[in-house]
Amino acid sequence: MTGNRISNISISGDFFMYPEEAIEALERTLEGVEVQEKALLAAVQNFYNSTGVLTPMVEPRHWVEAILRAASGERK
Amino acid sequence: MNSAIVINTTKERKDTGSEWRLLPLRTDDAFTSMAIDEALLKLNAGCKSPNTIRFWRWQPSTVSIGCFQSVEREVDLEVARRYGVDVVRRITGGGAVFHDHDGELTYSVVCRQGDVPDDIIESYMLICGGLVRGFGNLGFRAEFKPVNDVHANGKKISGSAQTRRWGSVLQHGTVLISPDIRKMFELLKVSREKISDKFIASVYERVTTVEREIGRKPTFEEVREAMIAGFEDSLNVKLHEGGLTDEELELTKKLRPKYASDEWLRKR
Repeated sequence: MTGNRISNISISGDFFMYPEEAIEALERTLEGVEVQEKALLAAVQNFYNSTGVLTPMVEPRHWVEAILRAASGERK
Repeated sequence: MNSAIVINTTKERKDTGSEWRLLPLRTDDAFTSMAIDEALLKLNAGCKSPNTIRFWRWQPSTVSIGCFQSVEREVDLEVARRYGVDVVRRITGGGAVFHDHDGELTYSVVCRQGDVPDDIIESYMLICGGLVRGFGNLGFRAEFKPVNDVHANGKKISGSAQTRRWGSVLQHGTVLISPDIRKMFELLKVSREKISDKFIASVYERVTTVEREIGRKPTFEEVREAMIAGFEDSLNVKLHEGGLTDEELELTKKLRPKYASDEWLRKR
């Protein structure tokens, strides 16, 4: 993180994303975004709307929750 | 209602009753198996391979991780080295799985995307329906649990993962026959306390095996036969035995080094 913004993000875990390559686009989308719930949710939602990516059982708010958790760990 | 849509889909498919290829049971190392699956998917998408179902085993036993997982986070590589267990990254998403050579049968289904429902969960349901019926053939009731599991008696007995690329679908997954659960938790990164007897006992509350459900360890061929009939029924296809083509074997050989590489394994 740089200040309160994401400078670099790597997402990993047990989930499905169709198409799989979209994970890299999601990571790029998040770079520069402020680590704050509203801003993150808007960025993630925009990513879903513009790409048509599917992630069964995982919703935009789940990514936001995970990012906020990781960011609070980094701040400590 | 989702279930109603799926029943309709199945009914529509009943009229087609197409022929798919069934490959013989194979035992390979993880890298070859992953390469075969990708070769089948690629060539099916290019209309050079028929829709195919195969069953296979892992030699040596292997931990596979989902394509989005971090190997460092999920697998104790030191324990894997000690047991001689391979570690491989799949091209499908989902979680880490311990594939026990002696206790697990894996299946792969490769077909054109148009041969399964567009909706991802419905397509899992259709393909996992083959397993559900297969377990029925072995003598016990099982049911599909979205997104990608099959449960028996409320416990997980099979997990699957699907990818869709180039116009075709690959779904592969596990049939837990009699895996070594303790070894599984030594290999997968869980905290020390979790490998306690108490945790292992709690896993037995959540995971079951064919051996446990029928009270004896069946042969791999017996489970395979039950699943073949299950898939024919669920997919409404007729399976015809056939081998890998020269083109498939050649592409497998080309793809294998990727799966065996450190670069691929440590991608995330």
